[in-house]
Amino acid sequence: MAYSDKVVDHYNNPRNVGSMDKADPNVGTGMVGAPECGDVMKLQIKVNPATHIIEDAKFKTFGCGSAIASSSLATEWLKGKAVDEALEIKNTDIVNELALPPVKIHCSVLAEDAIKAAISDYKAKAITETAVTA
Amino acid sequence: MQYFEVLGLAPRLTLDLKDLEKRFYAKSRELHPDRFARAPQAEQQRALELSSLLNDAYRTLREPVARAEYVLKNSGFDIGEQRSKDVPAELLEEVFELNMALEEADRPQIEAAGVRFEKLRAEIDQELATRFGQWDHAAESGTLAQIRGLLNRRRYIENLLRDVNVHLSN
Repeated sequence: MAYSDKVVDHYNNPRNVGSMDKADPNVGTGMVGAPECGDVMKLQIKVNPATHIIEDAKFKTFGCGSAIASSSLATEWLKGKAVDEALEIKNTDIVNELALPPVKIHCSVLAEDAIKAAISDYKAKAITETAVTA
Repeated sequence: MQYFEVLGLAPRLTLDLKDLEKRFYAKSRELHPDRFARAPQAEQQRALELSSLLNDAYRTLREPVARAEYVLKNSGFDIGEQRSKDVPAELLEEVFELNMALEEADRPQIEAAGVRFEKLRAEIDQELATRFGQWDHAAESGTLAQIRGLLNRRRYIENLLRDVNVHLSN
């Protein structure tokens, strides 16, 4: 199977690889996995609590080229978006952008799940934070 | 479940491999094309299809993991249809950490990790054997869910072992 140029580019030069402090109240962490291929994907966002804008995004994925490319692209898209805007990113957007073949669609699903997981982690923290301050 | 039926078996997760092999050879002889040389076309075709099913069945059922995946798939626990929310967070954390450690390890550490992963796999296989027996005794879907979880974990460990070998062969 041949990977598209965009997948190869993200695979060779992944954007935003790394991690942020999980304990930071402004950081949301999403850890997801697909046992079928044995992939694990960690995606983190850092949100400005005043503006609700995602100021930074990082990922680390152990998996195939498409899984790495999907999460790399996701972090690029996340930066600068408002949290609720980020929830609108669909796996099909990733499939289209990276020209993923049908057998690799689950990689984009994983990236979408990771985004959702990171956002819900951030939101859960924000609620606890407010409760503590109030 | 067709694979068991074609070999004249009831669905079971624990199988006697000697018996399975005997059944496979006996059925293969029954379905051999030479025996259908003079048979009507439709019957020849049918024998051919059955013999292809028989080959798939034997290949799948003689491997415990493939056999369990087959039973799970036919019982609504297909590996491909799980979403990430079905995978426990602790397992993902564990696998992520193991992967990280592997990435930063030197050769002796990688070798040690390989030994540890093989031990983990052996432990999983032992627990699988117990659960297989449990399901054969009483076919409950709760047991299948546990087997699904064990096989997921096993898949991750297998991948880690593959990575260990890649690192070591470089």
